[in-house]
Amino acid sequence: MTTDRAEDLSRELRERLVPLFGADIAIERLALLAGGASKEAWALDLRTPQGTEQLLVRRAEGGVIHQQTLSLEHEYRVLQVAYAAGVRAPRPYGYLGEIAGRPAFVSERVPGETIGRRIVQRPELAAARAALPAQMAEELAKIHAIPADRLPFLEAGGPRDVLVRLEDELDAIDEPHPAIELGLAWAKRRTPERSDVVLLHGDLRVGNLAVTEAGLGHVLDWEFAHLGDPTEDVAWPLVRAWRFGVDQLRLGGLGDVEPYLERYNALSGRHISLASINYWEIVGNLKWAIGALTQARRHLSGQQRSVELAVIGRLAAEMEFELLHLLERAG
Amino acid sequence: MQDRPRADELAEAVREFFESEILPTIDDPRIRFRALVAANGLGILEREIAFGTPLVRREVGALMRLLGHADAVPEDFDELRRRATDLNRELVLLIRAGDMPDGTLAHLLATVADKLRVASPRYLERYR
Repeated sequence: MTTDRAEDLSRELRERLVPLFGADIAIERLALLAGGASKEAWALDLRTPQGTEQLLVRRAEGGVIHQQTLSLEHEYRVLQVAYAAGVRAPRPYGYLGEIAGRPAFVSERVPGETIGRRIVQRPELAAARAALPAQMAEELAKIHAIPADRLPFLEAGGPRDVLVRLEDELDAIDEPHPAIELGLAWAKRRTPERSDVVLLHGDLRVGNLAVTEAGLGHVLDWEFAHLGDPTEDVAWPLVRAWRFGVDQLRLGGLGDVEPYLERYNALSGRHISLASINYWEIVGNLKWAIGALTQARRHLSGQQRSVELAVIGRLAAEMEFELLHLLERAG
Repeated sequence: MQDRPRADELAEAVREFFESEILPTIDDPRIRFRALVAANGLGILEREIAFGTPLVRREVGALMRLLGHADAVPEDFDELRRRATDLNRELVLLIRAGDMPDGTLAHLLATVADKLRVASPRYLERYR
């Protein structure tokens, strides 16, 4: 079945690649890669007169995790702007429009490990783990310095808007979740009054980074980019779900928070406090708990039948448990 | 009354077949990942069949105490589930109104721990 789809795709894809790479091209390999609950990723080896290009075709799969997910076309534009600003993002080659009925774009295919469990556990990546916290801080500081007016389609939003959207998503689930409600009520009472509004990656964490033995190779998966408080992005990789079992190391199963935060503050000129990190870590857990429940609804509603999406619904309880413990500690 | 294997034992047998005979034959990493997730789903099903009902009964009892209801805990399982949903909805409204009862956090910690006993027992065991 995969082979038939690859053949259908391959014909249309080649036509769309001609304007980018010239007519003298041939698809040597096109294979669907693992991972990605809401997007397809195809490894594409393209023969050109200059040699074989290792490319990645990212294509919509029909569903979204959050209402705020960018279209493929907008995700491509964010990637272009980030790459041009010197962020370590895969080189974008072109937005392709619809390929066999669904939008897609093509970028450089970068080397490195992306599976979170391996990044936090494999012995050969120990040096990478030591380097990653500072490197993550550096990429975040670069992203947050990009002028937001380069991406006029992104809506501005403050900390209060984040909670309003989460409450809307929770209401759409139509099943009572008192643990999540308790977290939302806590966060509403402590919403920061003022905040900077900058371009956020929206999902920068272990699992969305290509990691080599030298550490951070590239920042991937830009579909949740939006404008907001920079601390939202800085605290996101702390969320326990992104520690992949190495739970005692609060920053993504890699290390402690303090050196990472100091590096970010030094580079960005901001003064983000640990208290503010704690607030946004709680909001991050809220976001992923609601995200997990929302993904299961994609399966239950028939929008996208998938055993993976079905089981994710039951894992929301993990985020609820963490959330309650964070609330207990925060008082 | 059905003969043995019970429903949980049958789910277990299917999961074991899946893990020992099907999984090793799958090369496509995408399908392999989904097969592992599916096996995990069968594990959840086994545990829910084996001890899910008393956990829902315990949750309803705890919610009634928390919310000050004195009526009986339903015997019928569908009725019990409806009651759990209704009581949780009542608690949600109180939390949104800023009027939650004392002991809400402790109640939720115990209830969510019970959900994890079915959905993700290893997460619960290693949680510190």
